[in-house]
Amino acid sequence: MISQIPINLFRFLLLLMAQVLIFSNAKFSSFINPYIFPLFILLLPFETPRWLMMLIGFFAGLTLDIAVGSAGMHSAACVLIGYLRPFLITVITPKGTEFEISPNVYAQGPTWFAVYLGVTMLVYLTFYFLIEAATFLNFFLLLLKIVTSTIVSVFFMFIFLYLFSSRKKRRFV
Amino acid sequence: MYNLFRFFVRYHLFILFLTLEVFCFLLIFRTKHYNQVAYIGIANSANGKLYSTVRSITDYLYLRRISDSLVTENASLRARLSESKIDNHVDSLRVLDTAGRYTQHFTYITARVIRNSVNQSSNLIFLDRGKLHGLTKQMGVVNANGIVGQVISITDNYAAVMSVLSKDFKVSAKLKKSEYFGNMHWDGVNTTSATMEEIPKHVPVKVGDTVVTSGFSELFPRNIMIGKVRKVNIQPDKNFLDISVDLSTDFGNLNYVYVVKNLKRNEIQTLDSLVVKE
Repeated sequence: MISQIPINLFRFLLLLMAQVLIFSNAKFSSFINPYIFPLFILLLPFETPRWLMMLIGFFAGLTLDIAVGSAGMHSAACVLIGYLRPFLITVITPKGTEFEISPNVYAQGPTWFAVYLGVTMLVYLTFYFLIEAATFLNFFLLLLKIVTSTIVSVFFMFIFLYLFSSRKKRRFV
Repeated sequence: MYNLFRFFVRYHLFILFLTLEVFCFLLIFRTKHYNQVAYIGIANSANGKLYSTVRSITDYLYLRRISDSLVTENASLRARLSESKIDNHVDSLRVLDTAGRYTQHFTYITARVIRNSVNQSSNLIFLDRGKLHGLTKQMGVVNANGIVGQVISITDNYAAVMSVLSKDFKVSAKLKKSEYFGNMHWDGVNTTSATMEEIPKHVPVKVGDTVVTSGFSELFPRNIMIGKVRKVNIQPDKNFLDISVDLSTDFGNLNYVYVVKNLKRNEIQTLDSLVVKE
């Protein structure tokens, strides 16, 4: 369990730099705001206690908030997905599956990950954009923004996953 | 008491979740006011340094475009010099003494954009100029193509600008041809278009008409380009036209901007307060 700390810390820094320097700076369009930073919370070990996950989510989100200057918005969304993550994992994983320590794209497979990332990012971005806009005006445009941003975010997350996941054989306990 | 204790043990995760969310929302609502949000972004100068370093590297990629825009601007300024005009003044009876005729009203401070966004619902632009360079809050920001925004918070070395692409930004604009004026604000969707309001229905407005600043606010001088009319909607139930304007500034591509310093601002504000008193 201890060995997980440096890996996750490294992933945190990498994702933060990528988010702040590349994705929050690149100007794709007003409908495409990719956020790959939440991947840090989504890749925490399965056995992380839930209270710890929320606290980590809160502080990670706060760091991103300070870096991009959005006070509390990302923290709120990160705490939400930290809270919902365990429910989602039990729902989408077939019974009797053996787990790695952390979610791994080679162990769980791309389909599992597509559902996992798709649902969490949809929740994350809906929550985030609603807070940011603070209004239901232009509801259709908001919806479009959420959907396109989710698709693009998941796409970039998959690139990250295939670049940085270890291709270890699955352990049988 | 025991039941209460059991309740806490049973729902401790949900309670933690709610506590954290409440805290986040307190943070959001406390800082909803723009200035503080902007302050967090640039307050720690490490952040500002990081952005200016990144910017100084990426600047090389845009050197060509920057120099092109500077040359065009120089050419248009040169055309305004008295040397490039013919004096048609033939009134020989009066000698015009121009020495005391003009006083400086606006000066411009150049600044470099170190960070910019266009995809939020309120966009901020960070500049590498601050208090030490003579900037204050509530100064207008323009570039060669048109208006850019308004300074909303500053530190010693950096400034945060509320871009025209913000839901809180408003500017007093007028139609160049007919001189009718109204408020203009961003439409919240497209990075190239804004909405102009309060133009009465009888005013003839054509697609392609130029919209410029009115000079009624202390932020911008008169006749700074804002954009061109893209579409005019006439709604039968309203007394005013609904005009959509194509912004002339390309917000996705900002490098150097000018911060407008209004030398007569204090005087106008004094006048304002005098009027209120009476």
